[in-house]
Order: sequence, then C-alpha cells, then structure tokens
Amino acid sequence: MRLDDLLRISIRQVYRYRRRYWGVVLAIALGVGAFTTMVTMGREVKKTFNQDLELIGGVTVIRSHFDNYHNLNNYKVMRPNWFHPPTLAALRQVSGVWEISPVAVRWTSCTWRRDSYSFQVMAVDETFWQVRSFWALTGRLFGLSEVIGRKREVVLGSRLAQRIFGHLDVAGEVIELEQDLYRVVGVVGGVTDMDLAHGAFIPITTFADRILGAQHPDRLYVRCVTWDDVEHVAKAIPMVVQANQPAEQLRVEVSWQALNQVKKVSWWIESFIYLAIFATLSLGGFGIWNVMMAAVRSRTREIGLKKAMGAEDRDILAQFITESLCLSLGAALIGIGLGRLLVELISYWLGSRPSEEIFFSCLGMGLFFAVVLGIGAGLYPSLQASRMEVVSATQYE
Amino acid sequence: MNSFRLTSQGNGILIKVVDLVKNFSNGQGEIPVLRKVNLQIHRGEMVAITGPSGSGKSTLLYILGLLLPPTRGDYWLGGENVLNLDRSAQAAFRRRRVGFVFQSCDLLENSNVYENLEFPLIYAGVNPRERPARIIAAIERVNLSHRLYHRANHLSGGERQRVAVARALVNHPDVILADEPTGQLDRRHGHLIMDHFQEISAEGDTSVVLVTHDPEMASRCTRIYPLRDGILYAPEK
Repeated sequence: MRLDDLLRISIRQVYRYRRRYWGVVLAIALGVGAFTTMVTMGREVKKTFNQDLELIGGVTVIRSHFDNYHNLNNYKVMRPNWFHPPTLAALRQVSGVWEISPVAVRWTSCTWRRDSYSFQVMAVDETFWQVRSFWALTGRLFGLSEVIGRKREVVLGSRLAQRIFGHLDVAGEVIELEQDLYRVVGVVGGVTDMDLAHGAFIPITTFADRILGAQHPDRLYVRCVTWDDVEHVAKAIPMVVQANQPAEQLRVEVSWQALNQVKKVSWWIESFIYLAIFATLSLGGFGIWNVMMAAVRSRTREIGLKKAMGAEDRDILAQFITESLCLSLGAALIGIGLGRLLVELISYWLGSRPSEEIFFSCLGMGLFFAVVLGIGAGLYPSLQASRMEVVSATQYE
Repeated sequence: MNSFRLTSQGNGILIKVVDLVKNFSNGQGEIPVLRKVNLQIHRGEMVAITGPSGSGKSTLLYILGLLLPPTRGDYWLGGENVLNLDRSAQAAFRRRRVGFVFQSCDLLENSNVYENLEFPLIYAGVNPRERPARIIAAIERVNLSHRLYHRANHLSGGERQRVAVARALVNHPDVILADEPTGQLDRRHGHLIMDHFQEISAEGDTSVVLVTHDPEMASRCTRIYPLRDGILYAPEK
C-alpha cells in the first residue's frame, strides 16, 4: 500500500468519524497545550513572581560584602577591600543575574531646624530600587540622570522621615548633610529591613564627591532572575571576584532556609501541574485505545471485506496505526496552537516574552509525545484488527 | 505455471479441485463439511453451486477464494497449487486473481462508490493515474456511472449489489466468487445481476462461480453443481 494512499484513507476515515473522537482530541489537546504553556512560560512566570520580593521573602537577592570591619576587630592589618568596576561588569555577565547594585555605607548626621539627627546614609545607584523592589512611598526616587548629574538629592527611610519631620509628605524639604544642603525628593516604600527604614539614600556619585572620607562600595546586592539561579550565582560570585581583584574577607549571604522553602513550594506546585498534565495525556491515551478498540469492533466487517479484497495484515495494521497517529498528532497540533495562544496571552499579560527556541523545542516534544501516544495506544487495537480471520470478520454481526 | 496459464487460455481449465475435504472442529470431534469434493471450472464458464442451507456451499466458495484453508485436498488455479501459498501470497492471490461478491451487499458504508471501487486497486498497487479509467470502466459495466460519487448507504439494495459486482471486476480477476449474490434482491434486480455475470463470463476471460439456492438463478449458469451433505454431485446441466 502506497504511503500517500495510506495517509489519505486514514485522514479521511478519522474525519468521517470525527464525532467519535472529540473527547479524546480535547483531552490530548488540553494536555499538550498545558505542557507547552508550562514549559515555555515557566521561567517567565517565575521571573514575575521574583518581581514580588515580599511574596517570596526576598530569596532571590544575594547580599555580598567585604568584611572590612571584622578585620579591624581582630586587629588584623589588612587593606579595606571594595568592589572594583571590572568586577561589577563581570558579575553582570554571570548567567542568571538579573541586576546588581553596589552600595557604600557610612554613619552621618543631618541638621534640620537646628536639630541634629544621626543615621546611616547609603550611597546607591539607580538600579538599587529595582534590585531591592523598593518604590516611592511619597515623592519620587532618584534615577540615572540624578546619579550621572551627581545631584544633591536624598531619599529618606520612612522611620527617619517620621523622626525628622513628623510625617511622610516630605518631598521638597531641604536638609543639611555634612555641611551640604540636600533636597529631599521622596520617602522609600517596600522596606522590610528596619535599618534601612531608619536610614537615608543618596546617589553614589554624590557620595563619592561630597561626603568626607567616603568609602568605595564594599557591599553588593545581586538579584537573580529566578530562585533556581540563586545557588549557582552564589557560587559564581567569589570566583568572579577572585578573577578580577583580591577577594579576601569576601562574604556572600543567601537566605538559604527561605530559598529552600520557596523552592519546595514551587516544586510541589509544578509537580501537581505536571501530574495534572500527565493525567490528562494519559486519559487521552486511554481514550485513543478505547475508541480504536471500539472502532475495530464496529468495523469488523469492513476489515474482513478489505482482506477479501486483498489487503494484507500489514495493510490493516498500518491503516489503524495511522488513524491512531492522525488522531493523536491532530490533537497535539490543536494543543500546540492552544499553547501558542496561551503563551501569547500570558506574554502580553506579564510583559515579557520567552525565547522562540523554548516554544519550538516544546513543539518538538509535543509532537514526539503524540507519536508515542498514538503508536502506544493504537498498537494493540491495530494488531487485533490485522489478525482477524476474513470469514469470521465478514460474517460478524 | 506460466506455461499452464498460456495453454489454459480460451476455454482451458482455470480451476481444478481434487479430493477437497473440510472438517470443522466443535471441541468434541470433527464435523465433515466437504467430503472429497472434485471440481473443474473452465475459463469464461459460469458455474452455480446449489444446495440447501448448511450443505457446505459457502465453505467451498471461501476455500476457492483462500479465505478458509481446507483440511485436505488440492486446489489449482491457472496451473498453480494455491494451497501452498503463505498468508501474504494468499492476500496477493485474492487481490489479483479473485473478485468477491457477498450476499449482504458488503460495501464500505461511509465511502462513496468511487472509493469502494478504488480499494482493490489500492491494495493491488495500481498507479493512481490509471485508477479513474479502470473505476469508470467497471462502473459502466453495471450501468451505474451516474451514481459514482454517491455514498454507499444512499444506494438501493440492487444498486449496492451492482456496485459490489463492479468492485469484484475492477482488478480484472480470473474468477468472480459470488455468495448468494441475489439472495436479498427482488426478482427483477436478481436477474439484472445475473445479466451482468453472464456478460462478464461471455467475454471469456473471467469465470463466475456463484453459490445459490434459487433454482431460477442457477438455471442461467452454464453448469449447476448440486452440493448435499458436503458431497458435490455431477453437474445437472
């Protein structure tokens, strides 16, 4: 039997009996669609979860610093260390790193209406807010232009704003900091660390220019793309630092307990979803097996007749297997179309797109799975059909 | 084999059955259905096998079509002992040398007439470009070309049986084996089918072997073999 005849007859047969197959097609299409969406969008969804640091307990932020103060306490004579620009550039290139933000800290005091207040000032760049998921509670946060322009602007922690002004609506106020006047541009929100709520933030460039005895950034916040990246990024940091500068007294801190907790919850959720997909696809497979068995029974006379016309066992086997494959592949194609639609919708909703490679590898996997399902579920009924004896088949009622 | 086929052109012997025995087992023993049947059919001959129900007529026909194996005996078709063929060669024998017409007008219900006639050509590996001409020629033999694209389940009983005859013819077989082909038809349609069989056999290339219990239909054949209790008697005509 020619291949084109086989395909034509099988597709025609499936089309003509399409009403029998809707349930099976739907189950496989849903399974493949869900699988495609899950695999394609999984990382994008994790990235979106990652944007809500509060939800995941900030586990994707790695804190790294040089323990310069510890050196002093131990009376060791070591040069204070800090993150050099080539190191920062190299760290940005590490796979799984979303953004990094170097920070310098020192204690200082400010004066407002003759009252003096002592607090910690943090020198940060424009990426800091994004890395820590902070937002403006009131006013605004300074950005790239203020950092480049070395502006004398300060963002206050909410507790410090309350302490100095008694309220949070402080944008436009001016405070004296290290004998310079700074304009308060806003109050930072989203802070869970009390030390930061009691502190102030100024552009890292302004800090270097104007704060007497200012230090280089000896702290670094590294935000990973997803929680799956944290472990290998944490391992990569000391190696990257060592490759670019002295790395003595480098400390890398990860909230391992919280990270494991988040990964565990994520693993369970993913497992349940994949289990549901597997169950749906298995139902589809059993469905194919069932409808093909029913088809073999209801088409027994047809099988006998075809054998009487000269069809060989392998012709009958090939036809039923091909029908089963048409069914599973057709359903998989519908599922992939459905998955693509969902991927487009979720991408639009999340505002980020996965790479096309992931989708196409899902497409390949979906089709491969459909072939396995079609052959696996259709083999036994097809063998039964091919082994029928002609006379008993033609006399079947 | 080929030399036999060459010499058996015209009115030579096409089918030769010698001492054919068929027993069915019922679990307690063997029940004889055909007892040493001997039969010779010439090319272009139209032969009827008659007898009451259960006499073994259909069994003999199925053995002639290699749908059932005999218990013993020999069966030559065109000089070839076809009982020695393996399963695959038996299928090839059916698609090239035999055409079947069954009593119950067995057409593929959801396929149209064209598709029904195309199946034997597909299994015989006929080139797709040659198929339409052969299908049209076959359907014109039974005067149903106007029904070519009608669904099988939209045809009348008589039309369905004529399509079955066309399908049996489409591969130019050596022999058409018909099992009660007029059994479910009225007299007028029954005779119409017999007309087609007579035309086919009259051309001389194809023999027709039909099984019937209707004496009127059997009388239109060149020879009538009575079969009773598994014994095939000498032809009455």
